[in-house]
Amino acid sequence: MATVADPGTAVKRPPGAAPPVWNRRRREALAGYAFVAPDLLGLMMFVGLPMVLSLGVSLFSADGFGGYTYVGLANFRQMAEDTQLWQSVKVTLTYTVAFVPIGFVVSLGLALLVRDHFPGVGLVRTMFFLPHVISLVVVGIAWQFLLVDKQGAVATLLRPVGLGDTSFLGDPSLALGSLVAISIWFLMGYNMLILLGGLKDIPREYEEAAGIDGATAWQKFRHVIWPLLRPTSFFVLVNSVVGSVTGLQAFDLVYVLTQGGPAGSTSSVVFYIYQQAFTFNNYGYAAALTTVVVGFLVAATGTMFGLTKGGRFDAG
Amino acid sequence: MSAFERVTRRSLLRGGAVVLGSAMAAPLLSACGGGDQGGNPKELTFWNFYGPNPQSDAQSKWFIDLVAAWNAGNDVKIKLHYLPVSEYLAGRALQTAFSAGQGPDIFLLSPGDFLRYYNGGVLTDLAPHLKPDQIADFENGALDTRKVDGKIYGLPMEREPLAVFYSVDAFEQAKLSEGDLPKTWEQLLDVAGKLTSKDRFGMLFETIPGYYQNFTWYPFMWMAGGSAVPENGGPGFDSPAVHNALKLWQDSIAGKIAPRKPLGDGGTDTPANLGSGFAAMQQTGIWGVSQLAQSNKDFRYGVFPLPVPEGGTYTTSVGGWAFVANANGANPEAAATFIAWALGANDAEGIERGRQWNTVVKANLPARTSVLEAAKSAGAFDDPALKVFLEKVVPGSRGEPRYTPEVYKAVSDAIQAAQLGGADPAKAAADAAAKIGTFLKGYKGAAML
Repeated sequence: MATVADPGTAVKRPPGAAPPVWNRRRREALAGYAFVAPDLLGLMMFVGLPMVLSLGVSLFSADGFGGYTYVGLANFRQMAEDTQLWQSVKVTLTYTVAFVPIGFVVSLGLALLVRDHFPGVGLVRTMFFLPHVISLVVVGIAWQFLLVDKQGAVATLLRPVGLGDTSFLGDPSLALGSLVAISIWFLMGYNMLILLGGLKDIPREYEEAAGIDGATAWQKFRHVIWPLLRPTSFFVLVNSVVGSVTGLQAFDLVYVLTQGGPAGSTSSVVFYIYQQAFTFNNYGYAAALTTVVVGFLVAATGTMFGLTKGGRFDAG
Repeated sequence: MSAFERVTRRSLLRGGAVVLGSAMAAPLLSACGGGDQGGNPKELTFWNFYGPNPQSDAQSKWFIDLVAAWNAGNDVKIKLHYLPVSEYLAGRALQTAFSAGQGPDIFLLSPGDFLRYYNGGVLTDLAPHLKPDQIADFENGALDTRKVDGKIYGLPMEREPLAVFYSVDAFEQAKLSEGDLPKTWEQLLDVAGKLTSKDRFGMLFETIPGYYQNFTWYPFMWMAGGSAVPENGGPGFDSPAVHNALKLWQDSIAGKIAPRKPLGDGGTDTPANLGSGFAAMQQTGIWGVSQLAQSNKDFRYGVFPLPVPEGGTYTTSVGGWAFVANANGANPEAAATFIAWALGANDAEGIERGRQWNTVVKANLPARTSVLEAAKSAGAFDDPALKVFLEKVVPGSRGEPRYTPEVYKAVSDAIQAAQLGGADPAKAAADAAAKIGTFLKGYKGAAML
């Protein structure tokens, strides 16, 4: 009697009989889908669905009380003439251009600092990471106390050098910079851990070999560590850019510390979208702005992925 | 072939798309269907920022007792829903609830936000539930910003005028006395300069952008003879009066006699700023009296009316929240009946309820004559600060204006640009006037007052 060996089940069955429904390959595939399903459903419900709905709402004028009027692309056309939008784009770009590189350099510096073992290294790493475990709202309130005009700890420290009257959150020329600094302080420990993981993956032998060849510390970093750290750096940079534009840190801080002021100097795009939706009830326009921001981010990250071969850089 | 055999990546994605599509359809359809709120017509929700709050203070208790008294005698029950004041004032809970068709049956509304909800068609006319003598009992002008075409869309629970609070200790330290209390804008800047020290500001104006900041700036605009929208054939926002009012606030910042960033909750927070010694004078509302009584019992302070510009006429802005009923709620008639009973009843119980709220658990001026008289009889205005409010601050006052969010934002941008951004007041006013003018051309809602 002929038998057909099923590589998945290795169960003998009569000739001409239909293959079993539940062979191993299918069972494994189904198990895989089952494992992915909760995440997939969550993404569909809480990310995919709102994105599609947002796109739909962007074609309507919504008054916030259940009234919807189809306006086609009018909400998108309105953006070109909206000077406040462009002001908020400028704020967001300034924040991003300052936050991403400075935040990266600080985090990398910290990662290099705590890379090697020394007494108390665990405590130092924990201290750097600690700000990240605090709620951003609490971070904002804490910094608000520190930066109080005249009476705050920072003003008191700066008084001897004649800067005691500096208003870090009330002066339009300083407020955004203050938010960048607080954002970096909040996120540096998290990015430090990611970069530390990348550094730990680089075999020490490479640096030792370079040392034997007479390389200086900078040359070792520039020609050994930096190239091998590029995938990790790419991840940190992409995350930072996306976080900056979407206001992952900045929105909470703006909301708690400045409400977009002083004089609109911290009104980022995401805060502007929030105001359009919840101050003016312009849900349609807010949805259109959101759609454009998401489109921009998809294009930007897609380009970055394309140029860097998905963050692998030199993959064939 | 069984269904499971067809489980492929492609089919899974197809199935996912169907699920996503179905899920999308329902909210989209309901969203397009207009705003009906549903809910339970026998149990109405009342959103507020007083009670029942976690601190269980006297104001919270007043709300709880109010609802308990109503619930004891009526089939339709009221259920309080508390939101922290910061969330209620600047948050998104109320707006989100309405946009989702889940707005509360009863809620608190300030004049500054009246037009958003009136123009949205969600306010119920309360007039049919009030007798003529009940309406007449409201103080002159107290209902103006809540009325449209003779209909009444909100009953005020209080009147909250703005004035300047000052620290007696700070005045004494600066060798100043009551006779030095500023009466003009020029004197205000001068005295504030004398009160400013290395760790104290002489004067505090609100600097946080928002409805409250506008509310506190309007009196200066009015006193100089300006207006946010054209009134009585006037020029509107781009006028010398507005430029001067913007410049006053700008000068206080440029002269470093007022903070760019107040403490605590900002200009509404008297204990955090005046009480802590951060500022020697603070423009704030009558609620500062009860705030200081609760937080800084031994703090020595006084109150004086807002200074007037050269050649100007004194006025101040009078705020105050109102109970309003959601026209799309589960039972608008019952909600309106409750509000008329809670804040309009002029029997002994109703008057006592008003007196308790306005002068016992909180410091306000009552919005109704009968309550004001009862409070006077009970000696409520023997308190020196409240006496100043009653006799010197309120006469000549004007209700907090009701403008649309678009007008509010244009004014807010001008204040921020001039006060903190150092912009030329004339240019800031001209920019705002252009935005207001463009908006007014297409505006079809209720009159702005």
